[in-house]
Amino acid sequence: MWVPGVGLLSRLMLSAMTRAGRFCILKSGAVRLMDVPAGNRRGLSDYYPHLMPSVGFGKSSSRVYRCRSETKRYITSPRVAETLVRILRGKRKSCQLFLECNPGPGILTRALLESGAKVIALESDETFIPQLKSLGKKVNGRLEVVYCDFFKLDPRSRGILTPPVMTSDMLFQYLGIEAQPWSKGAPLKAIGILPPKNERSALWKLLHDLYSCTSIYKYGRLELNLFISEKECRKIMANPQNPSLYQALSVLCQIACGIKLLHTESCLSFGTYTANGQLAKQKHRESLEQNLCFIQLTPHRNLFAGTLTPFNYDVFFHMLRQCFMKRNAKLIDHLHSLSPIDAMHILKQIKKNKDVKVIDMYPEDFQHLFETIECSKDDNYKWLYDDFMEDVII
Amino acid sequence: MSAVRWGRGAAGFGRALWPAGTPGLLAEEGALGGVWGRKRSSTASPCEQDRRKDWGHAELLEVLKARVRQLQAEGMAEVTVKRVAKRVAVARAPEAGGAQPPRQAPAGAKGAGAKGAAATLSSRWAQKLDSDQQLMEKRKQRLEGKLQKRVEKGAWQKQLRLEPRLLSRKLASQLQHWEQGAPRSPWEEQLAQLLQEAPHRLSSEAAAAPADRGPESRLEGQQQRLLSFFECCLLTGHLPLAHHVLVTHHSKSQQQRLLTLSMYNMVMLGWARQGSFKELTYVFFMLKDAGLAPDLQSYAAALQCMGRLDQDAGTIRRCLKQMAQDGLQLQGLFTAVPLSAEERAELLRAVRKAKPTFTPPRPPVPPPQVNTSPLLREIYAKQDPAVSYPRLHLSLKELQGLFQQQLRVEMATTITVESVEKVPLLTKEVLHARKTLAGLRTRWRTALYRELQETKESEAHAAREGRLSLFPYLCLLSEKEVVRMLLQTLQALPAQGESLLFLAHELGLRVFKRKQLRNEVQELEQRYSKYLHLLASDTQVAEPCLPRQHWEALGVPEAPHEQPWPMSVVVQLGKQLAEVLVRAAQMPSSLAAPRSPGTLIPVLYHVYSFRSFRQIGILKPHPAFTQLLETAAERTLTFESTDVPMLCPPLPWTSPHSGAFLLSPTKMMRSVEGSQQHQLLLERCPPAELHGALDALTQLGNCAWRVNGRVLDLVLQLFADKGCPRLGVPAPPSEAPRPPEGRRAPNRCLLPEVSPAEKAEMRRELARRLKVAREMQSLRADALYRLSLARHLRHRVFWLPHNMDFRGRTYPCSPHFNHLGSDLARALLEFAQGRPLGPHGLNWLKIHLVNLTGLKKRESLQARRDYADELMEDILDSADRPMTGRKWWMEADEPWQALACCMEVARAVRAPDPAAYVSHFPVHQDGSCNGLQHYAALGRDSVGAASVNLLPSDLPQDVYSEVAAQVEVFRRQDAEQGVQVAQVLEGFISRKVVKQTVMTVVYGVTRYGGRLQIEKRLREIHDFPQDFVWEASHYLVRQVFNSLQEMFSGTRSIQRWLTESARLISHTGSAVEWVTPLGIPIIQPYHRDSKVMIKGGLQSLTFSSSVDTSQKPNTLKQKNGFPPNFIHSLDSSHMMLTALHCYRKGLTFVSVHDCFWTHAADVAVMNQVCREQFVRLHSQPILHNLSRFLIERFCSDPRTSKSIWVSRLMDTLLSVPKTGTFNLEQVKHSTYFFS
Repeated sequence: MWVPGVGLLSRLMLSAMTRAGRFCILKSGAVRLMDVPAGNRRGLSDYYPHLMPSVGFGKSSSRVYRCRSETKRYITSPRVAETLVRILRGKRKSCQLFLECNPGPGILTRALLESGAKVIALESDETFIPQLKSLGKKVNGRLEVVYCDFFKLDPRSRGILTPPVMTSDMLFQYLGIEAQPWSKGAPLKAIGILPPKNERSALWKLLHDLYSCTSIYKYGRLELNLFISEKECRKIMANPQNPSLYQALSVLCQIACGIKLLHTESCLSFGTYTANGQLAKQKHRESLEQNLCFIQLTPHRNLFAGTLTPFNYDVFFHMLRQCFMKRNAKLIDHLHSLSPIDAMHILKQIKKNKDVKVIDMYPEDFQHLFETIECSKDDNYKWLYDDFMEDVII
Repeated sequence: MSAVRWGRGAAGFGRALWPAGTPGLLAEEGALGGVWGRKRSSTASPCEQDRRKDWGHAELLEVLKARVRQLQAEGMAEVTVKRVAKRVAVARAPEAGGAQPPRQAPAGAKGAGAKGAAATLSSRWAQKLDSDQQLMEKRKQRLEGKLQKRVEKGAWQKQLRLEPRLLSRKLASQLQHWEQGAPRSPWEEQLAQLLQEAPHRLSSEAAAAPADRGPESRLEGQQQRLLSFFECCLLTGHLPLAHHVLVTHHSKSQQQRLLTLSMYNMVMLGWARQGSFKELTYVFFMLKDAGLAPDLQSYAAALQCMGRLDQDAGTIRRCLKQMAQDGLQLQGLFTAVPLSAEERAELLRAVRKAKPTFTPPRPPVPPPQVNTSPLLREIYAKQDPAVSYPRLHLSLKELQGLFQQQLRVEMATTITVESVEKVPLLTKEVLHARKTLAGLRTRWRTALYRELQETKESEAHAAREGRLSLFPYLCLLSEKEVVRMLLQTLQALPAQGESLLFLAHELGLRVFKRKQLRNEVQELEQRYSKYLHLLASDTQVAEPCLPRQHWEALGVPEAPHEQPWPMSVVVQLGKQLAEVLVRAAQMPSSLAAPRSPGTLIPVLYHVYSFRSFRQIGILKPHPAFTQLLETAAERTLTFESTDVPMLCPPLPWTSPHSGAFLLSPTKMMRSVEGSQQHQLLLERCPPAELHGALDALTQLGNCAWRVNGRVLDLVLQLFADKGCPRLGVPAPPSEAPRPPEGRRAPNRCLLPEVSPAEKAEMRRELARRLKVAREMQSLRADALYRLSLARHLRHRVFWLPHNMDFRGRTYPCSPHFNHLGSDLARALLEFAQGRPLGPHGLNWLKIHLVNLTGLKKRESLQARRDYADELMEDILDSADRPMTGRKWWMEADEPWQALACCMEVARAVRAPDPAAYVSHFPVHQDGSCNGLQHYAALGRDSVGAASVNLLPSDLPQDVYSEVAAQVEVFRRQDAEQGVQVAQVLEGFISRKVVKQTVMTVVYGVTRYGGRLQIEKRLREIHDFPQDFVWEASHYLVRQVFNSLQEMFSGTRSIQRWLTESARLISHTGSAVEWVTPLGIPIIQPYHRDSKVMIKGGLQSLTFSSSVDTSQKPNTLKQKNGFPPNFIHSLDSSHMMLTALHCYRKGLTFVSVHDCFWTHAADVAVMNQVCREQFVRLHSQPILHNLSRFLIERFCSDPRTSKSIWVSRLMDTLLSVPKTGTFNLEQVKHSTYFFS
């Protein structure tokens, strides 16, 4: 317990935080943290894996470790399913491939199949699998059911994976889908509902995967059609014109993808299930009055054509998170913490005046800013950010 | 919006926020000086003239500064700004002379004179400036006019407030009456009258409160801050400021509640020391007004002051009478109040006036204190002829020389050591870089002085507004010292930066530590020299005694130590200093970008990093600066003097806060920073109860060490070459898979035709390489410190002072180089004192060598020895040609120690008479699974005891193999019943898989942690089907726990009992406490987190601390921590007992927790002592004692006895687990108990 030596202070349970909760993160830092050499960890808050409260070594109860019960939304109304099929399929009759995430009772799946599409159903709840499989038998091979959690693909921790958690390589190999170059169109369309409890972390994960060209995006410019709460939807589509909603996620989404709002539907049209497949009662009135938006996220073909590449996207991410930590501050103040290059010089180059605030910058402005610094010729050192910090982040 | 100030330009920004008319430092100091000058004469007329002079200078400064700001704002030519800036700097130079408030009143006059001169000088500059530019002149005048107005308006407000504002009307009118009548009636009479006014409001409550809160009584954060503020003010001679803040707080009822008696007393004491009776009376008024009852200290201060002023007897008599009425003993003034000799004399003078015959009681002769622990009876028994305490091999003269060396090191506070890194070729480039660095440092020094002064200014300003600013703290150290400290910090900052919080904390602590340095060097020198007579080889003492006893006999106990500062103060102070550093450190931009214009850019940047939802502020040096340091390759390392082993025997521990280093106070019990509960507990403990721990620590620290030169040479050779990670010598950075240019993209990354996926792959590869490089670098730095220190200490004798953690486990104080480290670190050390091997020494050396190889763990001692004899050729070969021969040693478990042992064996066998060979080599004896040994002995588990070698047996038993066997039994049963995992695991259950889990289970590893450990082992097995790892590890950890339960049934119930007790204690709202068999009080410092936030400046800092006793205990940690901590407190007791008894027998003894070291010749004696003491320790009714203690501590309070938790706790505590039938005496004959 007591480790003498250099890091006397590492025992301090100190943690520096300025504001909590603005940024969610993709995974618990624990596993990655182990790899950080102790010397680098000093002073940062100690984070230990949470120990299970078990008494001594005598307790004989064998606990089965389940994922925390999370509620999931499913499409239960045939009307909604029909609407969606109309939106997605249009008048097409061709055999299109859809990847449906967490179909649950399979209302939408059925509607899609009826319209003549091919569907891969990724279901993370075992209770629905038999039902879906029996459905698959009826449509001779147009439905493939996989026990898999789409939103937990490629976890960062390196343990062995047991379904429903798996890697995208495993999944795509199993499905026999080849990777397509970025410039080509989307290999398939995915449909799903973001997990209501942690929409934001799911979005962050998707964006990380997209910008780094890993996970599902390794296989091409996947088009996502997602149900997302209206609140979040307005946030990711925000820009300086509605500054109260504007945030890092908005910039990242808008730079990376074309966002199209396809449809809005009340929460009432969805069923909520707990982890073991029970229909849950909807508790909060608020959540009932909310709407869900159906949006389409298509990654831009020319996203990586410029200076921003999967090689340096992490700097871009860091820049945005940093800026939006204090959204009302002047950009110039943030620049001092981002790059050793003279801030005034940078501002002059992007043709902004020195009083410009973070929330006055459009997504394209941020991209321009990033490219300006990244391409600056004079300076040997462009960013203060380095991957030591990345170790902390991811 | 929280006040986050941005790193760059923060200085200017911050300053610009001030009202333009704020007087500068000088003005404030002037006002202060006025007060100082006044206090002797005791008149209220301020020294107008002085102030005017100061104002003149201050104004000018302010104007110049304002001018600089204005020019900067208008973006005028750089040059002009610089010129003006220079003037400001010059104008400030004389200010530096006058800035330090004179400590003694007479000095005030001199200071004022200097200031006057400065004023005339600066007015000349002002004229010059005027003639420079007409335009500027106009502006300046305008400004000046404005300034003048403000100054005049604010002059009186700036005065420090002396008169109290009393809340009680009666007292207020009394005061008024007194003041009006001041010329006629002497104040003393007033004081006497005032004293008779018994405090009405709170007296009864106040008296009851301390007793009421009992052990938990503790100053709350804010109060702690106030107290340390006053203390610092006193220390730095800013008494009027302390008074001012006291008055300000007193006058607001909200804040008054924070003030405690000790704060009034402290300010009063300050006035008393100066003989300022008027101010003292003011404080007394306030004290009464707050409804507090004066205590001995208050009276001591008042009387002392009267003594100094030579008051008449009547007043003093009245004062003494009142004291008697308050139920305070006159004797108490001399025994219970800590006083310096001078204060004592003054006090006595006053008392003698009233009572001419009074004789103060003799300085309290420490009553014959005897430790009551039955375990230590022998140790402290009077005169035993068998005692032969060891002596050092050095003569008195040599030791005195060493003392002088150590004294010099500690007075310098830091020590510079040459690094063992390869000497760079002194190319032009290197020389140029060094020159640049030197130039930069000179520049920074000046800039730091300036920034520091500006910071002091603003803090002084804040203090004058009644806020608890950092001003007195900043004055604790001389500016020179602070600047030096900051420059060192900058030098040592790692390239990837350091968290601001960490940095701030460290800086703050350093200030605190340095402030504490003792200064009675001469007295120490004399005493220490006498003390050495006990240790030196050529001196005699009257009767043999322990070092502590000898030291205590040489003089009176020392003054009480100072309270630590609250964490928030430490961090705030450190942050302030860090900000000074950020603002001051600048370098020319040409270092970063060769073609840029030569402007100045900051060296340090405040950047953010994200950890989960937290944002962490990091201070990071500019990469160009890191590069510069690397190129310059300066080969020196700077250590704090307390981080390096001592060069003379440490001071013996005489109390929880005195011992070890000569000048720097060290705590006997280290604990989480900011926690006080341990210290409080230790202080409350009767001193004699701690004797066991004090003496054991002293004894461990008294072992003299030296460096094993041959091993060091070999390691250095490897280190300078390419390293050897397999042998624990880290490779130099050049060996790392280093990407060519930092994190910059390889050229391919810019090519559009490379696909995004490939770029992503490149990024991952780069990140991987950087990570490896970074890990290597941190390992390398660690080794660099250790080896550099080793080389520094080579050819010297040194000592490793020890202290202990909150459970009583002992550790050396010096972190980098000690015997607790890795194999390599241990191999570098040997005893400085030699002992002839004697008849059996060589055998023990051989056995030790085989133990180090780890090859014959389950063989008898005889077999191990024979094995060594068989391999003698290899051993000799290793010793002679370690790097070129057969390299047998490299295959050992602990290669470097094995090599060192090979060399020792070789020397011994080649000696003409091996028995006479003088060996310095430490031989180890390890407890086999020591935690379980203690559990088995506690629970008298026969099966368990046998498996951990408590029972005599021909061959060593191995608990890990036995657990593995037991697990295998369970597995087979399950496999037969068709459990799939059990079938898969067939043939994979081995000792190795279960070892770590079994080992750590006693120390509280949970199923979760245990599963991770086993998972790791399973992954290492290549032919194990990896798909099953999770399930299998899960299954295995369960079976390991079950097996342990089967074998150690008593252990299991004890563990449960401990856990349950801790849970219930925690629910009653207290932290678990207990007392070790040796009498050390222990408390678990686990509380719910409390958050402290420090706003403003670069960044707001928040830290959570789990040691705040005002928070509820953290039940989970309290209960999970209790069993392992309790066992640790037992194993430390065992070690201390062994140490003390070995010392009586004249042995050299040190320990690494459950691994005991001594000379080869003495192993047999040590083994015998070790076994005897284990039996004696466990013959005590340990659990019953614990139960009794806990009942008394937690269940005896009548107020809480009705609580359901308390009654449940009572039930649990009364049902002490039953024990088994194991006969403890058998341990004495067990060869492999420790082996």
